[in-house]
Amino acid sequence: MGNGTEEDYNFVFKVVLIGESGVGKTNLLSRFTRNEFSHDSRTTIGVEFSTRTVMLGTAAVKAQIWDTAGLERYRAITSAYYRGAVGALLVFDLTKHQTYAVVERWLKELYDHAEATIVVMLVGNKSDLSQAREVPTEEARMFAENNGLLFLETSALDSTNVELAFETVLKEIFAKVSKQRQNSIRTNAIALGSAQAGQEPGPGEKRACCISL
Amino acid sequence: MAQALGEDLVQPPELQDDSSSLGSDSELSGPGPYRQADRYGFIGGSSAEPGPGHPPADLIRQREMKWVEMTLHWEKTMSRRYKKELAEAPGDPQWMETIGRDLHRQFPLHEMFVSPQGHGQQGLLQVLKAYTLYRPEQGYCQAQGPVAAVLLMHLPPEEAFWCLVQICEVYLPGYYGPHMEAVRLDAEVFMALLRRLLPHVHKHLQQVGVGPLLYLPEWFLCLFARSLPFPTVLRVWDAFLSEGGGLTGVPVEAWAREATVPRGQATVHEGGRAWSHEAREVEAGGQAKNGRGVEQGQAGLPVSLGLRLDTAIGAKVLFRVGLTLVRLALGTAEQRGACPGLLETLGALRAIPPAQLQEEAFMSQVHNVVLSERDLQREIKAQLAQLPDSAPGPLPRPQVRLAGAQAIFEAQQLAGARRGAKPEVPRIVVQPPEEPRPPRRKPQTRGKTFHGLLTRARGPPIEGPPRPQRGSTSFLDTRF
Repeated sequence: MGNGTEEDYNFVFKVVLIGESGVGKTNLLSRFTRNEFSHDSRTTIGVEFSTRTVMLGTAAVKAQIWDTAGLERYRAITSAYYRGAVGALLVFDLTKHQTYAVVERWLKELYDHAEATIVVMLVGNKSDLSQAREVPTEEARMFAENNGLLFLETSALDSTNVELAFETVLKEIFAKVSKQRQNSIRTNAIALGSAQAGQEPGPGEKRACCISL
Repeated sequence: MAQALGEDLVQPPELQDDSSSLGSDSELSGPGPYRQADRYGFIGGSSAEPGPGHPPADLIRQREMKWVEMTLHWEKTMSRRYKKELAEAPGDPQWMETIGRDLHRQFPLHEMFVSPQGHGQQGLLQVLKAYTLYRPEQGYCQAQGPVAAVLLMHLPPEEAFWCLVQICEVYLPGYYGPHMEAVRLDAEVFMALLRRLLPHVHKHLQQVGVGPLLYLPEWFLCLFARSLPFPTVLRVWDAFLSEGGGLTGVPVEAWAREATVPRGQATVHEGGRAWSHEAREVEAGGQAKNGRGVEQGQAGLPVSLGLRLDTAIGAKVLFRVGLTLVRLALGTAEQRGACPGLLETLGALRAIPPAQLQEEAFMSQVHNVVLSERDLQREIKAQLAQLPDSAPGPLPRPQVRLAGAQAIFEAQQLAGARRGAKPEVPRIVVQPPEEPRPPRRKPQTRGKTFHGLLTRARGPPIEGPPRPQRGSTSFLDTRF
């Protein structure tokens, strides 16, 4: 990371969970931020969020994870949801092919509302239900590769790969941010990205550096 | 959220100190029955005193049920239709899968909804499926789940279904459909009201980037069923459902005079008049009266105020509750100071201490929100005009929009009526109290206990005049 002053900065990265209703977004959120899972978690109506701070190298990164309703009609009221997001987990249920078939539509939705440089991971959730699998791993992995997406299969129920999924996304974002900052420092120009607009750092946190990627 | 009925109610703390920028109470002391409502805004509530701290569970149920009954559209044909077309028909597969996934996700801690084979989840399945068959173009909205669940806690599936229909189509049209356009409109209206009534809070929300769509949809779509302690939810629902029906001193009679309306519609006018009439009845101490002339007192109000039929102004309650919650969370400078950012602010809105949400004190504050019908209507009209053309989906259409746009609609109807066009018959029909009427196919809803009503609803059509009233027995005599 080179520059010593970077260690003084804290980072706030907003990551959104998207995907069809019922794929497990809310449980991925609760598993990552509170290590909780519930079979009967309530349907998400509106917007939920939770945070967790992780260390990436020597930097403390606060992950702001957002969760919303997956049902199509909620798109009308959730466009603000994407504002300032630098990462996204596009989740499908690997036991329900229909939730995978619409992944392209979700990608389009994402790119319509978020920065084009947003870091995206395709997540096949419910890997614990191996008998009921309907989406082959290789198929999903190929799709991800062809579309410039990261890819993992997870289980919010037994925790498999949940930490890894979020951390991978955060690391990727961090790498982009660091690179951007290196470039900015070199050219002596600080560009405040539009992604920064509307985001306030938390109490005690200095303003995060530019996170336009 | 899924607290059982009849839980102990904590005695409320003092009312919150009004250190916010709420305006004076002058508008609240407005005309008509509002002055005489009990302290929760209930016309006909028999207590000006604070009620007992621990109402028994079935009393709570009865309250809820009575109000719910008033709004139902009880026709025998509807009952038959429900059974044949809706309950027995297979559902649209597209929706059935989605609905099925959600059945165990409504009030999962409530005993009624714990088991997949139990009455709760099966009832939910029935009701939600029926709605997608009844209104295929609307389909299923997940927020209907919590709403239907609360209804099912009090009503059998068929009645719960019709109540859901009323809520989705009369009280809150444009909320649950594919575009949810009325939710977007109401979010703008809410912000505008905030700017006027709680300007410091409004400024704070702007500064930290918290728009209303980040917290309002769950409140309004679920009628606060997931955001308040359950006894308070029931009180909010009481107010929400009951405000539909001319309870706010509107000279419905004046409007009736204005319009030449066909016979079928007269019921609504008379129903509205009857409702206002009853309000005065009870306000005068519960004595049964014939005094139709009592409404003359309202005649001085401009006719424009009377253009609201008030069949669907329950949303005003939603705004009041929302404003109260925002005030409780962020009303003081200290509270705002503790929320320097977006997440803290959103967190504060979700973390209001339950003690401040207990029904007595909370509803008192809701009642005290300085928001007149006229304010709300004006704001709705203003925001409607400002909606960007580029917004996705249809604009909220005045003719299906409630409250303010309803006023626009009524005005159009009025104009249409003058020109001789045939207006739509509004949906809520209430029997007037005293007149003997020709046999109607819908059962009597007046003066009956809840249990009697339910039995009636399934029986043959009711003939003949209403039974003699005992004393002041009426739906508005709630004996709370």
